[in-house]
Amino acid sequence: MIKKHKENNQLTKVNLKNLDKCFYPDAKVTKGQIVEYYIKMTPKILPVIANRPLVLTRYPNGIKDAESEKTSFFEKNAPVGTPDWVKRYPIYSPSSKRDINYIICNDIDTLIWLANQAALEIHMPFATTDDIDRPDLLFFDVDPEPPATLSDAAEVALQLRDKLRKMSLTPFVKTSGKKGLHVVVPVVPNYSFKVIRGFVHKVGISLAKENNIVVSEFKDTKKPGKVFADYLQNSPMRTMVIPYSLRPTKEATVSTPLEWSEVKKGLNPSDYTLFSVPKRQVNPWKDIFERRFHLEI
Amino acid sequence: MEQKNQQASMEQSQTEKTSAPAPRRSIWSGSITIGLVNVPVKLYSMIYNKGVTFHFLHKPDGQPVKYVKMCTKENKIIPWNEVVRGYEVSKNEYITFEKKELDAIKPESDKRFRISKFVDYFSVDPVYFDRTYALLPDKSKEAYGLMLRALERTNKAGAGRITLRTKEYPALLHTYKGALVLTTLRYAYDVVDPRDFELIGQLEDPQKAELDLAVKIISDLSGDFDITEFKDSYMERVQELVNQKVKGETITVEKQPEVEAKGLMVALRETLKQLEQQK
Repeated sequence: MIKKHKENNQLTKVNLKNLDKCFYPDAKVTKGQIVEYYIKMTPKILPVIANRPLVLTRYPNGIKDAESEKTSFFEKNAPVGTPDWVKRYPIYSPSSKRDINYIICNDIDTLIWLANQAALEIHMPFATTDDIDRPDLLFFDVDPEPPATLSDAAEVALQLRDKLRKMSLTPFVKTSGKKGLHVVVPVVPNYSFKVIRGFVHKVGISLAKENNIVVSEFKDTKKPGKVFADYLQNSPMRTMVIPYSLRPTKEATVSTPLEWSEVKKGLNPSDYTLFSVPKRQVNPWKDIFERRFHLEI
Repeated sequence: MEQKNQQASMEQSQTEKTSAPAPRRSIWSGSITIGLVNVPVKLYSMIYNKGVTFHFLHKPDGQPVKYVKMCTKENKIIPWNEVVRGYEVSKNEYITFEKKELDAIKPESDKRFRISKFVDYFSVDPVYFDRTYALLPDKSKEAYGLMLRALERTNKAGAGRITLRTKEYPALLHTYKGALVLTTLRYAYDVVDPRDFELIGQLEDPQKAELDLAVKIISDLSGDFDITEFKDSYMERVQELVNQKVKGETITVEKQPEVEAKGLMVALRETLKQLEQQK
């Protein structure tokens, strides 16, 4: 038995298990396929999530029929049994009056371990452990409320792109994997979350003035047919789903980084799944942190 | 008085550690309600079902056996999302329910044990007793202490209903070794009336001499009940056997499905190569 373990060790430290278990009953995806997916996406994922304390949504029995049964749980603190080689970063939580040991994923073994833990969804904050209180990403959550669709969100995202580019910023975009789009802008971490949040909110307000489908205030988010430019996540240890994270949808959709040329009417989140995304040749978020902008607010 | 003695001997036996360990976590918190009076309490499990457990292993390779759900028509393994609950209305004829349909009508716990009346504890036959839970005071010790002493003095038990998880039970609040405990009861529909066995109705009265003799034997053999006189000798023998076997060979479970992982290793090798180039 010990010998077998060593053999496996040559490639990964993770003791993979239950690989034939079905995790997406509709898309017929097994846990093994999920692990394989994350392995394939590792080179594109690691540079973005490095040194960020992660929050996980684990689905120990897969997504089953997600609407009726509670099948997942949030996890911030590294669970009991986390191997020693998994890097952790403590942040004091005033609400639970103790340190929470967040997981840091800077290597492929940790990512494989997360997939093996059934952490289908992985979420990251907008700051790194270099300075956890100063964001290095601005985050615009472009969230359409039905009957508004991803096509409407695409229109708003393009408008947002033009506005940000006029300020000489370099925005990047990805699908949320559900119905919305995420737009981020890399910046040199010089300001507090409060200042950044105020800035992102202001951009939202000026978008709303130009296009009446856009709402910039939280109280208006549930107005049907509107697209909310959500600025509120720009706060300490608030998160977004990481690029290439799986989502708990029937089709096993992926939060997929896009080229701006792909953002257009008819954009369909179910075109980007565990099956199709690894075949994409493009890497739209490549070198994202080499385009940091010195924001002056 | 007699009860007091019994309690004293039970307490003694507890010091010999024959009882089960107290659990750390409560499973319910709420309050006992009598009219307008509330006694906030926490409920702890008090009953274990220890005994010996064995796991089933596949004899040729010693690996754990698992249960699967098979469709009896297609003769193939089916996933959970293809399973619904069926209620048999007549032989081989079912109406089906989704889990959420049934969840919708489950009783909700309102965090209260409402006592509707007090009864003589010994008037409730133990055949109805289901499971006993220890109650501890939550916040106010005074209200708890008062309730405890009052029940001890009157030898009464409070009868009412409680919802634990999603099931509603009739229950009794009574005292046990200086604490308040709650015993859930079985519904009448779950308990057989032995008079429904035909034989019971056909019994004849015995001869007086025989009856007198039988009563004498009973009184000669009478004594106090002590639960610690009973040992689980089967469990002890199994434990002995386990100790012997542990010294010899044990079966190691290999939790390493090598074959499954093989496909992954191809992808992993490829990715590791890419990561090397990225550096």
